[in-house]
Amino acid sequence: MSSLLAPDGFAGADPSSPVRGVREALERRRARAHGHVYAVVRWAGAGIFAAVFVTLLVTLFDQASAALGHMGIAILWTGWNPAKNQYGAGVFIVGTLLTTLVALVVAVPIGIGTAVLLSELAPRWIAAPFTLMVEFLAAVPSIVVGLWGLIVLTPLFATHVEPFLKKVPLLNVLFHGTAYGASVLLAGVVLAVMILPTIVALSRVAMSGVAVADREAGLALGATRWQVVSKAVVPGARRGIRASITLAMGRALGEAIAVALVIGNNTSLPHSLLSPGATLGSAIVNSFSEATPGSLEKSGVVALVVVLLAISVLVNAGGQLLLRARKPGLPPRGPVTESASPIMPTVPGVPDTAGTTT
Amino acid sequence: MTDAPIAFESSPSLSAAVVRRALVRDTARRSLARRRLAGRVATSLCTVALCISLVPLVALIAYIISRGLPALSGGFLVHTPTPEGIPGNGIGNAIVGTLIIVGLAMAMAVPVGLAASLFVVERPGKLSGALRFAANVLTGAPSIAIGVFAYAVFVVNFGYSGLAGSFALTVLMLPIMLRFNEEAMFTVPADLWEAGLALGSPRARVVRSVVLRSALPGIVTGNLLAMARAIGETAPLIFTIFGSQFFVFRPTSPMSAMPLTIYDNATQAYPDAQQTAWGTALVLMVLVIILSVVARVVAAHLNRKTR
Repeated sequence: MSSLLAPDGFAGADPSSPVRGVREALERRRARAHGHVYAVVRWAGAGIFAAVFVTLLVTLFDQASAALGHMGIAILWTGWNPAKNQYGAGVFIVGTLLTTLVALVVAVPIGIGTAVLLSELAPRWIAAPFTLMVEFLAAVPSIVVGLWGLIVLTPLFATHVEPFLKKVPLLNVLFHGTAYGASVLLAGVVLAVMILPTIVALSRVAMSGVAVADREAGLALGATRWQVVSKAVVPGARRGIRASITLAMGRALGEAIAVALVIGNNTSLPHSLLSPGATLGSAIVNSFSEATPGSLEKSGVVALVVVLLAISVLVNAGGQLLLRARKPGLPPRGPVTESASPIMPTVPGVPDTAGTTT
Repeated sequence: MTDAPIAFESSPSLSAAVVRRALVRDTARRSLARRRLAGRVATSLCTVALCISLVPLVALIAYIISRGLPALSGGFLVHTPTPEGIPGNGIGNAIVGTLIIVGLAMAMAVPVGLAASLFVVERPGKLSGALRFAANVLTGAPSIAIGVFAYAVFVVNFGYSGLAGSFALTVLMLPIMLRFNEEAMFTVPADLWEAGLALGSPRARVVRSVVLRSALPGIVTGNLLAMARAIGETAPLIFTIFGSQFFVFRPTSPMSAMPLTIYDNATQAYPDAQQTAWGTALVLMVLVIILSVVARVVAAHLNRKTR
C-alpha cells in the first residue's frame, strides 16, 4: 500500500521549507497530467470499440443493400438461384434451423444428463477427470470437429447410420431418400458434438454453484439424493442451464466452416433429414469467394450474413430475456446479473471458461 | 414440517421455501421405495448420457492423435507444403503464419480491450451500457460475419493480407476480452478502490496499482482464453489471408494459417492431403490446449500471489 503514496513522501520533508510547496505543486500537476492521460486512454478504448461495432453494422448493411433492395422482405422465403438473379435466404434459413434443431435435440438431453452426473451423482474420482476432459474438449477448434465429421462420420453415416435410421418404424418419416452421408442430419450431429462440451461444462458449473444449504436442507428433510437434484439443484441452476443452451444454440446457428464440410451443399429445399442441404453459414462460405466483387450476387451473400446476424442477435436477445424472466410465484432472487452461472461470470462465445476461475 | 428450523442462508438462486415446498409435496406423494427407484432410474439414465457423450468425444481425440501422429514425421513442423505425392511436406509456414497473425491481433486487441473495459467500469452510464450491449451482440455474432466484414473493410481496399486476418481476429477477440476484463475488475472489492482513493492517490494510480493488480489473474486468463479461441478460428481467416505456400514474415502479404491449412487439405481427395489435415489438427489442438492450461496455471499462480 505504501506505493500508493507519493514516492518521496511528505513525512521526511521539512514542513517549513519553501521547497515543499513547489514539490507539492509539481506532484499535483503530475497527478493531473496522469489523470488526463488515463481519461484519454479510456475514451480511446471505448471509442475504438464503438467505432468497430458501428463500422461492422454499417459495412454489412451497406454491402447487402443492393440485394436487400432487389429482394425486399421476400428474401426470407425465396430460394437461392443466381442464374435467375434470385438471392433469397429461405432454403438456408430452413437448413440453419433444421441443423440447429437436430443438434439441440441430440446434445441437450445428453449434455444435461452428463452434467448432472458429473456435478451431483458421480463420486469425485470419476467426476474430476471427466470434468477436466470435457472442459478441454470445449476448446477444440470447430474446424477439427468438421474435419472429423467429413473424413470419419460421412462414410460411417452413408453405410451404417442412415440406412439403419431408414428402417426404424415411425422415425423413418423423417429419414427417407438416398443415404449420401453428407446431409442435414450429419451436419446436426457434427454440431451436436461441437456444442456438447459447452453445454456440459456450463451446466455443470451452474449446478455446482447451487448453495450447499439448499442441498443440505433437502437431505435434512429426508429427501433422497435424486429428489435433491431434481427439486433443488436443477431448478436452482436453471438460469445457468438455460444460458448454456442459448450459448450452444448461438454457436450452432453461426457455425459455417464445419457445417460446410459435412452438409453436402445443396441449394434446394431439403425434403428429409437425409437430404444434403445448406445453412446460412455454409452458403456464405461456398458462395462468397465465387461471386465477383461488386456483383449483385456478392451483395446477396452479404445479405445472407445480415440475415444470419439478425437471427443470432434475436436468439441472444431471447436468451437474455429468458434469463431475466422470473417464474410466477417465486420470490425475488437477488440482483439479476448478465452472467450465465450464479457463481462465475461466463462470456458467450467462450465456452471453455467454465471452471477456470473456480 | 412447515417451520423446520433450518437456516437457509442467502442462496444464489432458489428460496428456501420453494425448495422445501417442492420436496415436501414430492415426498408426501410417493413412498420412499418409489422415490429411491426414481433416483436409481435417473442415475442410470445420466450414466447412459455420460457414456453417449464420451463416445464421440473420445473417438474425436483418438482419431486426431492416431491419424495426426504419423503426419508429424520428419520436418513436418518446419517445412513448407510440397506438391501432392512429393515427400517432405510440412506446415512450417502455416505455424509461422498463425503465430504472426494471432500475435498481431493480440497486440491490437489487448490494449484496446483493457482501455475499453476500464471505461465501462469507471464510467457507468448510457455509453457504457451501449458498449456492453455491443459486446453482447458481437460475442454472439457468427465468426463468418466478422470474416466478411474484414473482407469488405480490408481486402477490398488493400488486398489479401495477414494483417486483414489479424484485424478480423481482433474484432472477434475484443468483445470477449471486454467482458472478461469487466468481470475481473468487478470482483475487485469496492473497499480497495476506496482505500486507494482515501489515501489521496490519483485515480489513474489507484487503477494501476490496486485495481489492475488485483484483477490481473482474471484479466490474464480471459485474454489468454480469447487467444485460444482466436487461434482455432477458420471463418475470420478464410476470406482475408488467402493462404500461401511459402514462409511469409511480412503481415501485409497473403499468409497461411493452420486452420486454413486444415480446411484446404480436408476438402481434397488425396490421402496425403488428408494426412496433412490431421497432422495440422493435432498441432493446432495441442497449441490450444497448451494455451488453456497456461491460462489456468497463470490464474492459479497469480491468485496465490495476490492473496
